[in-house]
Amino acid sequence: MDIYLASVLTNMTLIAFLALSAYLVLVVGEVSFGQQAFFGIGAYITASATALAGAHIFWGLLAGAIGGASCALLLGLLTIRLSGLYFAISTLCFAELLRFFLLQLRFTQSIDGRVIGPDGPEGFSNIRWIFENHYEVADFLILAVTCLIILLIGLFSLERSPIMLGARMVGNDPILAQSQGLSPTRYRLSFIALSGAVAGFGGGLFALFNTHIEPAMFGVMLGLHGLAYAVIGGLGSVIGPLLGVFLDIGLLESIRPLAAYRMIIFGGLVALLLVFRPEGIISPRLVSRLKSLWRNRHV
Amino acid sequence: MDMLQTSIDGLMVGSTYALLGLSFALVFGILRRINLAFGACLLFGASVAIYLEPILGWGAWGLFLVTIVGVALASVYVERLCFAPHSKRHGAVTAMVASFAVWMQLDEISSQLLPQRTHAFQGIEMPNFWWGEIFVRGDQLLHFVIALVSIVVLYLLLYKTRLGLLIRATADSPETAHLLGARVPWLGFIIFLLAGILGGLAAFMILSADGYVTPLFGLWSTFKGLIAMIIGGVGSLMGAVIGGLILGLVETHAGAVLGAEFRDMVTFGMVFLVLIIRPGGLMGVKIYRTDTLAQERV
Amino acid sequence: MYSLQGIGKSFGGIDVLKDISLTLKPGQRLGITGANGVGKSTLINIATGFLKPDSGYIQLNQKTLTHQPAWAFAQAGIQRTFQNTRFLTSATLGEQLLLAARAPASKRRVAKLIELSGLRASLHLFPDEIPLPVLRKAEVIRGLAASPEVLFLDEPSAGLTASELEQFGLFLQQFLGQKTALVVVEHRVDFMDMVTDSVVQMQHNRGLVERGVDVKT
Repeated sequence: MDIYLASVLTNMTLIAFLALSAYLVLVVGEVSFGQQAFFGIGAYITASATALAGAHIFWGLLAGAIGGASCALLLGLLTIRLSGLYFAISTLCFAELLRFFLLQLRFTQSIDGRVIGPDGPEGFSNIRWIFENHYEVADFLILAVTCLIILLIGLFSLERSPIMLGARMVGNDPILAQSQGLSPTRYRLSFIALSGAVAGFGGGLFALFNTHIEPAMFGVMLGLHGLAYAVIGGLGSVIGPLLGVFLDIGLLESIRPLAAYRMIIFGGLVALLLVFRPEGIISPRLVSRLKSLWRNRHV
Repeated sequence: MDMLQTSIDGLMVGSTYALLGLSFALVFGILRRINLAFGACLLFGASVAIYLEPILGWGAWGLFLVTIVGVALASVYVERLCFAPHSKRHGAVTAMVASFAVWMQLDEISSQLLPQRTHAFQGIEMPNFWWGEIFVRGDQLLHFVIALVSIVVLYLLLYKTRLGLLIRATADSPETAHLLGARVPWLGFIIFLLAGILGGLAAFMILSADGYVTPLFGLWSTFKGLIAMIIGGVGSLMGAVIGGLILGLVETHAGAVLGAEFRDMVTFGMVFLVLIIRPGGLMGVKIYRTDTLAQERV
Repeated sequence: MYSLQGIGKSFGGIDVLKDISLTLKPGQRLGITGANGVGKSTLINIATGFLKPDSGYIQLNQKTLTHQPAWAFAQAGIQRTFQNTRFLTSATLGEQLLLAARAPASKRRVAKLIELSGLRASLHLFPDEIPLPVLRKAEVIRGLAASPEVLFLDEPSAGLTASELEQFGLFLQQFLGQKTALVVVEHRVDFMDMVTDSVVQMQHNRGLVERGVDVKT
């Protein structure tokens, strides 16, 4: 496979994790500007586990996911009384504070003559897992896509379960949710933690693919893009965020000739799209409607 | 004396933050919306001003005028495209994401207009002077005065005119205002126009004080405005002004004591603490709205 | 088995509820009437856990619920309907009723109620496509799904015509079940006489009084 194409597809896959993590927070009715922090934490943890501690990739990624989930849970607990804009801004502050922490983090070791480990603003270089395991870009793409598919299978079964509808209820109408015996706080915390895990895992993959990470990569713009993909693609189903990622990175990469004006066109198009499809392309109502049409197809 | 100097500097810069915060506070306090494209509008206005400067040749005052007009136009464009179509209660997130898309758009346009990393931004020539042992920059003092005047004008507009009364009534209760004859649909337009003018003023002041503009200015000013608003108490106009001044003071002192790197950290840390401990900010804005049913969060 | 004792609530210095007490036995049908603004909504909100009282306590089967969150009330078996029927706008009626019925027994109960009340035709529609009388019934079915101890109805007559209201009353009589206590907060007295055994009146500063007692303004 053409290396360029494989790279683009891999990037799409990695960003999909971020978009899905934003989606999980949106489902419980909140907006997070901070998912990039969990992505970044996951990246650093996985990098440390594999490059510094020589751990197997499975454990490295798992550690990244757990790290992301823990940070997210911490944030969720600190902001337990907040919602709406306040919650959103606090996620932003939390993310930036985490990034400052990463900027200060220095723990380097010399392994095989190379400097390995987080080195403040210089970042973490020589994450050599793909080299040591002889992974070509196409190989890593397969790995990343496989992970994404496994995640999607998990999320799909979540979608079909009452848990997801409960979460949507918490997101749409917390009072209604309470009257149905659902604790909005528990749903929020669970989904926020889950979103952290998903972002952390994606970050881990990102670190392995890029072989070099630095705090500047995990700024607010990254998170905003993930959020935008989820909103544009639609909140009706996990496919929504994926669609959003595909539309931006996928489609737009194809409009190379207009590269300079890409954002000007795309930005305007997105705003326009939202005028007509405020809940995204794959909106909850659309999904609900399709589901009942399917169920009643014999009627 | 050093502390006094730092404080004076902090207040100067804080006055510009106050205007940024006011812009956000107007939009959030009255429309319950966050305009993520705000900073991009500022950058756009400044870019247009610099781009047109050689053509118009009006010097610093030309920059002043064109910046404000440019920002106001961009602001109104954002309102029409991103906010007017989503004015119902649940449209908040959609409007915000739409404004994010336009942020990207405006940033790109600005990059096209100003292709280099930094561009000079000419300020108004004012004499600097010493006030006792305090050094005061003439242009910053002028900005401070302009900011003060703008705030007073805004206050008069909101509290002494019929238009202002309609605006405030709508902020409190859109349904009632509508019944009373306030034409709600154009409200967004007016608010964004006001926010744009204030933003344009702030942009000019900040950029001319610094002497240059970079592509990062958009994101930077969005942060500042949001933070000023939060510290003071979301939606409270007075709060935004005070929040901006405090932000300026804290930031300048933190920078003097800890250095530039930690300065931003202190800022974010402060906001985070405010949100966790006293989300209503200094003015203690109530973030829970008592509904007939139960305590619903705003 | 469900009791409210000494409930007091004030807003901004004004006493909306003062020393309100109420006891319900299984299967009891009680109506609460009263003028607008006298505090009926506040009472329902407190009784179902959506508002916390300043004083007094709430007990269900010896368990004190007073300061529990509203969802704990719901899980304990205290259900309610809302004045403006609350449903998600983006999920079909069927999906939402399904969510309310988690245990298999509940599912059977809900399915039966849906059949018997003719709601099957509306299951695939969204709540904003469904006429109000049907929604009100659906809300009650949703409330009855887990066989609650008490069901509170908040102004169910709002928006219904006289004949729709009568239909709704018949529906309640038919499907309520013996164990569930019912509290109807309403101002349509004829409806309340139809579905309840007794009616009390809420009066400002006098609490709940037997109907027919001298009303002093």
